[in-house]
Amino acid sequence: MADAARILVVEDDQALRDLYVLILKDAGFAVDEAADGEAALAAMQKGGYDLVLLDIVLPKLDGIKILEHLKTSPPDALNKKIVVLSNLGHDEIISNAMALGSVGYLIKSDYTPDQIVLRVREFLGGK
Amino acid sequence: MYTTTPQSKQTIESLWRLEKIILDTLDFNQVVQNIVDCVLTELGYLQLGYRIVVLALADDQSNSLKRVSISQTDEAKKALEITPVPFHDITIPLSETGNLCIKCVTDKQSQTTHDWKDILCPPYTVDEARQVQQAIGIKTSMIFPVIYHGVARGVMIFSMLKDESEVSDSELDLLRGFTEVVGIAVQNARLYSDLQKTSADLDSANKRLQQLDKAKDEFVSLASHELRTPMTAIKSYVWMVLNDKSGPKTKDYLQLVFNSTERLIHLVNDMLDISRIESGRVQLKLAPFDMPGLLAQIVDEFKARAGDKKIKLELELKEHLPPVTADRDKVMQVLENLVGNSLKFTDSGGKITLSAKADQNFLETSVSDSGRGISEDEMDKLFTKFERGGSPLTTLSEPGTGLGLYLCKQYIELHKGTISVKSKLGQGSTFTFTLPLQ
Repeated sequence: MADAARILVVEDDQALRDLYVLILKDAGFAVDEAADGEAALAAMQKGGYDLVLLDIVLPKLDGIKILEHLKTSPPDALNKKIVVLSNLGHDEIISNAMALGSVGYLIKSDYTPDQIVLRVREFLGGK
Repeated sequence: MYTTTPQSKQTIESLWRLEKIILDTLDFNQVVQNIVDCVLTELGYLQLGYRIVVLALADDQSNSLKRVSISQTDEAKKALEITPVPFHDITIPLSETGNLCIKCVTDKQSQTTHDWKDILCPPYTVDEARQVQQAIGIKTSMIFPVIYHGVARGVMIFSMLKDESEVSDSELDLLRGFTEVVGIAVQNARLYSDLQKTSADLDSANKRLQQLDKAKDEFVSLASHELRTPMTAIKSYVWMVLNDKSGPKTKDYLQLVFNSTERLIHLVNDMLDISRIESGRVQLKLAPFDMPGLLAQIVDEFKARAGDKKIKLELELKEHLPPVTADRDKVMQVLENLVGNSLKFTDSGGKITLSAKADQNFLETSVSDSGRGISEDEMDKLFTKFERGGSPLTTLSEPGTGLGLYLCKQYIELHKGTISVKSKLGQGSTFTFTLPLQ
């Protein structure tokens, strides 16, 4: 589908990553995935995604560092929206992420798979 | 008879002025200096022949009377120069009943003397006392008790050039009235400095609490993350099955859910154990047991898991080992943790070896694997809570609860043993712990 929104799922837990990729593909999106911080940064640097679902706790490079990197060296093609999807929830990290450019912060355990799709559609809505 | 004489009016006024001065400040050092200065400076007692005023207070710790402050007159300066014993070292044990200062404290009555041996021996010798007295030219010394709440806390010594007979009644009234208030002033200043110290102590305790609070918050956040992670998998996969989205993968999904619950239970148990240890509620159930027997039990327990991953799990025991007195359950927990870790971090085809040896004092047990090894930065934080080296946010992504090794360390150290690791990245690791042989 040429029109399908492009989504990048960054998640190190294989079981969750597979699930998110599955439900988003089912919902009609074009989905890429990254399992660690370095792969995620490389994909986001190339850019061009309509939405990135970014985990914070990742091997090799954490989500906050990724956001910092992208601030100092912007991607080749713009990533329209970055939304953090993490199980860390203390105030400091949320405000950190938002200050570094994410447009939303979702706590993973709050959402069932269908609710994830819903929130993704909401974020893409303005498109 | 009931009217106030001009004399007593003046005494009252003078007393009032002096009291204002000494009660005005709470700083101990200032108060004790004001006490010995103000009679001379405020009331012009120099003109009345007074030359030196000294304050001495009882020290409970040494059970003695110690010099605290001296007036700033020329005679006082001279005395300080020629004194055989430094002023602040002039200490008179309360048992020296021959000394008039001590008698003053004991009887709570003022004393008078023309001979400084009565107030300075000990620590001066009789000759030293008389020499110094003569050099300064003091004729009479009057000693008044400093009383607070009915207890004599020290003395004030007024030394003058004139004879006792030349001391007027109004002077005596004033000095008596004054020394009665000195007790209050000194006690206030003491209480104030105690208060300041307590305040400072509370302040640093508070800062420490704030630090601990912050550390606790971070720990809670990391712990919540660890709890939420398996719960997310459970919630998501169960939802899929419930909503008929699992198809042929239903059993796989349910297996994932099951593994996650195991992980959660493991984590919660670890956290409870840590809570127990940190609040000192863990009591070791010590009994002698056979380490080889325990090691064989562990091998049995992990045989299946090791087989699944095609990892060789072996026992290496060369010598006869004495029984060790320890909490077998806790030691088993430690071994389960170490072997579990080795299994996690060793690839298919690898090997894990359990061994033990003993010397006179310790039984040393090791778990060795051919796994991925541990880097130098990771080594430092290995036995701490949740942190395994590097950024806490990246290492949290690694398998395991992050509490296991911390717990192992606590358990072994409770036994008064030690735990350590030898490892090189890519070349496997060997964890060794010792237990004392009583």
